[in-house]
Amino acid sequence: MDGQKENNESKKRSRLEVIADIIRILNEKGGKIKPTHLMYKANLSHKTMKIYLGDLKKSELVKEQKISKDEKKILIVLTDKGREFAQKYSKIREFEETFGI
Amino acid sequence: MISIFAPGWFTRFDILIEVFSFLVLLTFFIISIKNYKLIKNKKLLYLGIGFLLIAVAELSTILTKFVIYYKTNLQQVMGDIIIKYSVLHQSDLPYDIGFFLYKFLTLAGLYMIYRLPLKNKNVGDILLGIFFLVLSALAGQSIYYIFHITVIIMLLLIINNYLKIYEENKNNNTKLLIIAFGILTLGNMFLILSSFIWAYVVGQILQLVSYVLLLGLVININKNGRSKRK
Repeated sequence: MDGQKENNESKKRSRLEVIADIIRILNEKGGKIKPTHLMYKANLSHKTMKIYLGDLKKSELVKEQKISKDEKKILIVLTDKGREFAQKYSKIREFEETFGI
Repeated sequence: MISIFAPGWFTRFDILIEVFSFLVLLTFFIISIKNYKLIKNKKLLYLGIGFLLIAVAELSTILTKFVIYYKTNLQQVMGDIIIKYSVLHQSDLPYDIGFFLYKFLTLAGLYMIYRLPLKNKNVGDILLGIFFLVLSALAGQSIYYIFHITVIIMLLLIINNYLKIYEENKNNNTKLLIIAFGILTLGNMFLILSSFIWAYVVGQILQLVSYVLLLGLVININKNGRSKRK
């Protein structure tokens, strides 16, 4: 039971780390990136990235921006809430790393 | 008979140092819990509880010392002498409880912080550790330096853990943490010699310096987030 709990927690952590990676990449790219570039940089499959982006859009951490009349060409844009998350996450990671936990 | 080793002129500073230490510890507790709520890393929760235990310990000693210093002031036995406050018409019990709580909670908090990075979660080991903490806190009531010796051992073990972590991460904040705990250890070495007035004062000042460094660490993390590695 405990092992299962721990396993679930580590799954949650890795999910959080992927989200943090996506946000970090977006932040490094000035807050805007093409989905294909993001997929490559975050090392995600198309399907997985779609799921994560869906979650991030729901949480209003990112939004989509059309770059042409063609609706298929979009940019993923980091919102203010997303930037705030990136900052907070960076502080938490530093805190964890300082104490080695 | 309760003996406190602060010289009369130092009693206010003594309380202020404890209040400052309490506030720094409380800050660490709040940050740990906030971070835990965001990312659900249980180790952050345990770290927070560790800091909270030491913070409550500080609070306990603040309240106990405050009452004793206040009453001592009334009895006008202040001066450059060691304060020996004997309660003639009252029981020593409330003060004994206050100082016992301070000792036990400090040791419990340090023990929690010490165990955190360890992979061995053997329940027997943990219970044995707790047993020795209670023993040390009880013995420390009559032989004060037993408590400080235990604190020094715990701090050295914690420093050893953080040295290993620093070897891996080369993080400047971990280095700062090691220095702060190192100064706290040195402070406790002076407190063993508390029967000399100067040693008590130096010990408390070193405690203040270590907590100032810990506050600097919080500010550093909050300001910069992930720091640059060497």
